[in-house]
Amino acid sequence: MTLNQVLPIALTVIGFSVASTLAVIAVAKTRRGRGSVRSRSLLAPYRNALIAMASGEDEDGQAKDTLYAVPAPTWVRLRPNVLAFLPKVRGTSADDLRELMRFHGEIDRAKRMLTSRSAVRRAHAAYLLGLARDRFSSPLLLPLLNDPDADVRLVAARALGVIGEPLAASGILGALDGPDPDRRVPPGLPARALGVVPVRCADPDQRRRGGEVHLDDASVDDLAPVAGADDPAGRDDAGARWRDLGAILLASVLENLGYRQATAWWRLEGWAASLVGRKQVWGTMTRQGFGDESPAVAALSGDVPGVALSGDVRVPALRRHA
Amino acid sequence: MTEMVKTRIVVADDDQDILDLVVFKLTQAGYDAVPVSDGVAALAAIEADLPRLAILDVMMPGLSGMDVLRKVRANEATKDLDVILLTARARDSDLDTGFATGASDYVIKPFSPRELMHRVNAVLARDTR
Repeated sequence: MTLNQVLPIALTVIGFSVASTLAVIAVAKTRRGRGSVRSRSLLAPYRNALIAMASGEDEDGQAKDTLYAVPAPTWVRLRPNVLAFLPKVRGTSADDLRELMRFHGEIDRAKRMLTSRSAVRRAHAAYLLGLARDRFSSPLLLPLLNDPDADVRLVAARALGVIGEPLAASGILGALDGPDPDRRVPPGLPARALGVVPVRCADPDQRRRGGEVHLDDASVDDLAPVAGADDPAGRDDAGARWRDLGAILLASVLENLGYRQATAWWRLEGWAASLVGRKQVWGTMTRQGFGDESPAVAALSGDVPGVALSGDVRVPALRRHA
Repeated sequence: MTEMVKTRIVVADDDQDILDLVVFKLTQAGYDAVPVSDGVAALAAIEADLPRLAILDVMMPGLSGMDVLRKVRANEATKDLDVILLTARARDSDLDTGFATGASDYVIKPFSPRELMHRVNAVLARDTR
């Protein structure tokens, strides 16, 4: 077979593979867009009711009736909207949203998730119980101050802080001065995030005796995105898991169309280059580094102890996943 | 029959939830709320509409709420506009900076929508006394 005979076949295969890959990407994007529009239109009637409830303008109880009647499958989609509103308001508006969550079984579900094997789920559950200000969950949250995962310890302490149970204060201080240095919560940023204003005092015993402990909602809520991060491991939705599985299976089939041919072609190119003795030249590689890392993330990972967390610093996502 | 002119209030926040919530609350109270989602649009709306009051988030894309406030105070046409800062910045120093820049009031997030309305009414009533 001559090169003139092989080349058209190779080009046809590559062209077909590229076209099919582009088609799959286009279809996936269109479906995602349609799904988003469908979700928005599904939630639109509830959005107004949610705003009415969050603004405290529901004297006739119409918004409450609408939101309490949300069917379970729709609640799964509406739930993130409610969770997004809750840390932004306080007073009776927040109380109404908390009751709505309780009505739809969120508190009981979160309590069950506190013992999940997934650290993300445990953190999410602790965050949710903190948002719900559920006093009865304090005894369940206290053991999480000794959780093997640092993020879970932090979010549990935050939740205990905002719930405001008196027994939580000693638990949080215990976490600050615990016997195991590896599990001790360091001072500085995490301490602020815990809702404890550290007392400028080197002696831990004196700090326990005379330490002024008060709850600082504004600073602890800065950590909300840590626990509220959307993570596949935190999903309860069985449908979403099946969809993910389907997508993986589809990807394993589709990789045979284009991707494998392309890698085979590049391998052939490499062999050809080695046969003729052509050397690969990389050129100048400029190190880019990680200069844009958020100071809050750096501080959480312990690189920058004691960095002050201002009211508008946002933590983009969980540092690590279970 | 003459139609009563509603008091116009510009609301600027890049958080859509808060923007919708504040606009809903103001509209329910009978105000004409003009929503914008960044500092540049807020300044443009203030200069174009000359509202009675502006409710500004501090951290916004483009111009911050504090920058908008400075520009409003520096402009002869808008220097007397009442401005309420609605922000998550809760430190005493942040409040000091806000009031020193010329804010009429300062509301800290998370906020009570009812309290915000009381403050809006109080700020507007100050001018009519």
